[in-house]
Amino acid sequence: MLPDVTALNRVLAGVSGAKVLEEGPGVVCRVPFDRVLETMKALAGEGGEFDMLVDLFGTDTGEAIDLTWHLRAFGKDQEVYVRSFVPYDAEVASVWSVYPAALYSERETAELLGVRFPGHPNPKRLLTVDEIGSFPLRKSAAIRERADYARPGVRVTPKEGGDADE
Amino acid sequence: MNDAAERAEEVAADSAVADEVGHVPGGVTAEGELVAPVLPKGLRRVPRGVDEVATEHLVVNMGPQHPSTHGVLHILLELDGEEIIAAEASLGYLHRGIEKLSEHRRYAHIGTLLDRADYLSGIHTETAFAMAVERMLEIEVPEKAWWIRCLLAEVNRIASHLVWLGTFGLDIGAMGPFLYCLRDREQLLDILETVTGARMMFNYVRPGGVLMDLPPETEPMIRKFLSTFDKYMSEYDELLSGNEIFLRRVKGIGIISPETAVAFGLTGASLRGSGFGWDVRKERPYGIYPELDFDIPVGSVGDCWDRYVVRMEEMRWAAKLTTQLLDGMPAGDFTAKVPRVLRPPAGEAYAAVESPRGELGVHVISDGSDKPYRLKIRPPALYNLAVIDEVLPGYKIADAVAIVGSLDIVLGEIDR
Repeated sequence: MLPDVTALNRVLAGVSGAKVLEEGPGVVCRVPFDRVLETMKALAGEGGEFDMLVDLFGTDTGEAIDLTWHLRAFGKDQEVYVRSFVPYDAEVASVWSVYPAALYSERETAELLGVRFPGHPNPKRLLTVDEIGSFPLRKSAAIRERADYARPGVRVTPKEGGDADE
Repeated sequence: MNDAAERAEEVAADSAVADEVGHVPGGVTAEGELVAPVLPKGLRRVPRGVDEVATEHLVVNMGPQHPSTHGVLHILLELDGEEIIAAEASLGYLHRGIEKLSEHRRYAHIGTLLDRADYLSGIHTETAFAMAVERMLEIEVPEKAWWIRCLLAEVNRIASHLVWLGTFGLDIGAMGPFLYCLRDREQLLDILETVTGARMMFNYVRPGGVLMDLPPETEPMIRKFLSTFDKYMSEYDELLSGNEIFLRRVKGIGIISPETAVAFGLTGASLRGSGFGWDVRKERPYGIYPELDFDIPVGSVGDCWDRYVVRMEEMRWAAKLTTQLLDGMPAGDFTAKVPRVLRPPAGEAYAAVESPRGELGVHVISDGSDKPYRLKIRPPALYNLAVIDEVLPGYKIADAVAIVGSLDIVLGEIDR
């Protein structure tokens, strides 16, 4: 199930700045954000044979968006995670030409986390509307807290012993 | 001269021209000049009949409130006559921000949100989340808890497939099967209600095990359902599988090649219908599935009929699995000892289960606090739906309904 780190390093030899590590959920290829498309081509091609994009999602780390592409090779029965820190105002090339499964998840990631994917053939919003005004999955986008439910004449008391059921 | 006289003069002059030259078809000259057509007297246009070939493309909004769109799916179709030129799903009508809300809930409170993601098979989503949390906390789940989880998962699978079967029949135009399917699903929901206390929003599978032990009346209830299930299946077969109209509507329609299926990340019955036998229960075994005896039905062509057959077979296998699970139900604890407030160490885990729609994964990232730092649901139905951009063009508009129905989508999970 877990791919061989040295074999992956050989596949990614042409991608400068790529590091293969055993961490997090399994084997992670950490690549610079401007080398993502190159990495995907290498992993989908000979030696990698990762033929399916299982999922794509981003995490706001507080300093950058950490994008994760979860790939699977059916023939070799292996899974690998490609990860890349993307600065808030940066762009990542769309990988739809390698993995068409990224078409919808890139649109979702773009609107929820504010990452742009140049090269996407249909870069519309998927889940939200234009008026939303923020990127909801960024940590800076707050959801309503207890105090926000306050109405005139209604006193909201903080629950004792923490926020067990906010 | 007043306006009326002027106008009469103009008309007379036009008629004179027409009289002289007869009919002059309009068009563009070799020099690129536009020539207005000159018509015989009394005609406003050349009576050329209906042009059946060169029709204008039309963009049709199918949904979000069309009876065959399974909830609130909205598909944009570009049509040339009846033929689909391009298709696109417009989503988000059911987006509730479950992933964002999960970042503000304790681990014990997230199950209730996840039930509302895939509202037809809550047990599966809960199990995937519980597995991810258990991996991070390294909790040993008691054997009986896994037997209960798998038992309810298979019961839930039949219930979910029955909704799919009924609505698929409705899509094609068969009203009858829907009534039969929901009649039988009601029994399954009664079973689930007896065990979990809720018909659809269970919140029953918790990290470490399940909420409660099986009540004693569960087994007779399930056995009673299973004793009649074969009869039900033959009823569905009589109503749909042998129906000539139904066969004409699904055979050879919506063919998805294995390459297309893998490229778009299809999983579940939609992938297996294309002849690609990949099932999470077999390839990434979890729970007690390795101990059970079951087969993975696989299609050959990848059309709507194959996906239909695969799902029907899956229901039969789910019934057999349920029997095995009832027979082998061990004694013991239904939950491990877990702390009241779960605080997984900083790290992350991905856990996937085979939901009725495919590989349903939950990716949890923890920063060591009592709430997840990030929770991502891998929605199988979203990836299954994405394939319509590729598959629909070339088929007729009526086939779009059949193809989308055969993919078995649940919008709650797609939009989250």
